[in-house]
Amino acid sequence: MRPLRFALAQGLLLNDALTALRAIGLDVSRVTPGGRRLVVDGDHVEFVLARPSDIATYVERGAADLAIVGKDVLLETGARVIELVELGFGACRFVVAAPRGAVERSLDEYRHLGTVDVATKYPNVAERHFRARGIAVEIVKVAGSAEVAPQVGLADWIVDLVATGSTLRANGLAVVEEIASSTARLVANPAAYHLRRREIAPVVERLAKWAAAR
Amino acid sequence: MSQQSPIGPPRGFRDILPTEARELGLIEQTLAEVFADSGFTPLHPPLLEYGADDSTKRRRIQFLDRDGSLVALRPDLTTSVARLVAGRYREMTGVLRLSYIAPVFREEPAMSGGAREVLQAGVELVGGGGALADAEILALLVESLERCGLAVCESTVQVGDVGLVGGLFADLPEDVRGEVLAALRQGDIAGALRRAQQAAMPPDQLERAAIALTATDIGVGVGGAGELCNVIELARERWPGSAKRWGVPNLALLPALPYYTGVVFEAIHPNAGVIASGGRYDLLFGAFGRPRPAIGFAIDVLQLHRALFADAWEPRSQRPLLLLRASDDERATMRCAAALRAGGLAVALGDVAERAGRAVIEAEVIDERLVRLGDGRVADAAALCLAIRS
Repeated sequence: MRPLRFALAQGLLLNDALTALRAIGLDVSRVTPGGRRLVVDGDHVEFVLARPSDIATYVERGAADLAIVGKDVLLETGARVIELVELGFGACRFVVAAPRGAVERSLDEYRHLGTVDVATKYPNVAERHFRARGIAVEIVKVAGSAEVAPQVGLADWIVDLVATGSTLRANGLAVVEEIASSTARLVANPAAYHLRRREIAPVVERLAKWAAAR
Repeated sequence: MSQQSPIGPPRGFRDILPTEARELGLIEQTLAEVFADSGFTPLHPPLLEYGADDSTKRRRIQFLDRDGSLVALRPDLTTSVARLVAGRYREMTGVLRLSYIAPVFREEPAMSGGAREVLQAGVELVGGGGALADAEILALLVESLERCGLAVCESTVQVGDVGLVGGLFADLPEDVRGEVLAALRQGDIAGALRRAQQAAMPPDQLERAAIALTATDIGVGVGGAGELCNVIELARERWPGSAKRWGVPNLALLPALPYYTGVVFEAIHPNAGVIASGGRYDLLFGAFGRPRPAIGFAIDVLQLHRALFADAWEPRSQRPLLLLRASDDERATMRCAAALRAGGLAVALGDVAERAGRAVIEAEVIDERLVRLGDGRVADAAALCLAIRS
């Protein structure tokens, strides 16, 4: 059988994830953030680096057995994986934001025109949220920088992922509502979690202890 | 749109070519025999059922019928069987043993590689309750997989209990318990435990729930875990004296379908993922009128085939096909073929380009009784029949 394959999200979470894995005694010395080798051997465990949104797909389809990935990615992709440990780092929030001082005006418009345009990189999260709240919106999917959408007249509101909120402030936006909060999670492929429980259980146990001690 | 007709099927559907179809046929035949050996009778619910305007059922493939009603390609057979039983066996209180081998249809997001047509083979034991019924169905699943040729090892089958998991969170307010169970149904163990913690679940209970959901060895302090283990032990008695210890308890196993109430189980293969799932669903019948105890399972036949294929399965070979080249005398050719078929051989006149992995013997008609084999030998039809059949 191939070694346990552990997928790691490139980007903001990677350094914290490596710290956690080092702390529980896994050999991550060959994983180099920003390096060109994306599949590296780590002594009984193979590490794969991928874009955060692909990590969920890797684990759902069993290409990786375990991964550390943000809850935000899981919420947007709806991937069917087992979420085992809340790791505590990488905290961020999905929020609805609107130009400061313009919330009242856009609500007026909503009553008048019956719909609000919402720009977002996260159409699934946005759609689910507004459907649950019973607000009729048009989702405008953008590939990046949703925060400029109200300024350039692309949309009235945005749904975005924020950590500190400074990007929103810099673009004259204010949080209207919080949708969900997110931190990094240890996730597993359901079949692999069952079949390779003996290998996975110690990782789960040690990461849970590590997270609880923080 | 281009003028040419599309040459491939719609997304999520695929063609099954003769070699695979032959192998699937063997699996289906074996499963039908295993089900019949335990007294299950086949039935055929319709392909279409009424749809539901319900956002939780978005995985259905639904469309409007010409009369304006919403219809759906059946998303699973258990619900169809429950509807059928509630309608057609309303007055019957006895036990029904029903089986099916039929496709179901589920919506999958585009470009996710997901199949929208799934071939299921399953059984439903309606009206049977208790540990014996649980064990019988669990054992029947294992027997079905084994008789198809799958090597069942210790971790192939995992067994959970929806009721026991509910019990772990019994002291929480009902709405919170609902949220916790909903999270667990989606595989979100971490989120479920956090929700329980936020609702001020006492630390010792929380600890116990965490252990029950993640430990490799359940039973520590979980009320009712003994009964779950008992069901597995009882199911193993299907093979008296066998030392084989298949079946691993796993309380974190909570199917996404909400109708399960008791024992639930899944069969898993390293290459094919989940190949079968089932459990006790005593509440489903309530939705159609009168509650009845019921338990069943469904095998994903294509995934089972994939698992067998990955394990280098060699399907039972078919009798060889005799490819009979015609002579100038077409009457003699027809008579010769008839004689060979009467003798129990499979005979095709001319050639077959797609042999689907089937062995062939080539021969040429000499007259109505004699053929010349590929190596030049001349054989009599009756003698050839005997030689090939043995």
